[in-house]
Amino acid sequence: MNRSVPQPASSFKLKNRLFIALIVLSNCFGNLCLAIAMRHMPSISAVPLLSYLAALLTNPWLFAGTALLAVWMVSTLSMYTWADLTYILPVTASGYIITALLSRFVLNEQISPLRWAGSVVIALGVVLVSETPERTKPLGVEE
Amino acid sequence: MKWFWVVMCVLSGTFGDLWSAQGMQEHGEIQNFRLHGLARILRFIATHKVVLTGIGANAVSFISLLALLSVAPLSFAVPATALSYILKTLLARPMLGEHVTPRRWMGVVLVSIGIVLISF
Repeated sequence: MNRSVPQPASSFKLKNRLFIALIVLSNCFGNLCLAIAMRHMPSISAVPLLSYLAALLTNPWLFAGTALLAVWMVSTLSMYTWADLTYILPVTASGYIITALLSRFVLNEQISPLRWAGSVVIALGVVLVSETPERTKPLGVEE
Repeated sequence: MKWFWVVMCVLSGTFGDLWSAQGMQEHGEIQNFRLHGLARILRFIATHKVVLTGIGANAVSFISLLALLSVAPLSFAVPATALSYILKTLLARPMLGEHVTPRRWMGVVLVSIGIVLISF
């Protein structure tokens, strides 16, 4: 395996941004699909277990949510190959803000002022970290 | 009981991410995103012991979070996940050799404070 010194090229920046978007969006929309799936489910104590399972396995939202969360997992693992964990974690926390927006405008949930304030604080943290280099040590290159 | 699940959730989630990152970094930067490259990365994930241990630990963390939610409200459970951001950042230097600059630390602390705020 070769060792290379970090050299951000424009294609690298593009790949980096694409993956941040992919990780954040697949996680948010995956969770949204699961939340919608559970809204279409009967209460677990109200129906026999077997018909609950049947309702679960025929719920398209559940499959969409699970597929999106699988995309989220693989894209996060892929990004670990070129960016620091301490870069990826805070930067992808921008998902909390999108989740707040989705809860408000898609699921029509009430969002408290404190929660909006929290979203702004998270956004500040995301901006701070996103201006640091993606990686702080030499990384291997795919053979 | 709820503190047991907090500790379980934070510890397994922290090591889950650290091990996943540690294992994936051995692969080297992914540059090939054609079908062949994607198959290769999936095979790497499915056969790498450290990565699989990390994924397993994250699964334990998810189940612990569900268990925590059955005994405590969401507004108690969510700040617990904020705690793991701090722990992961603390351990990223000794375990992954990452250089966490003061600017990055400030960002992590702001994100954690924000996560505590959104849970109210």
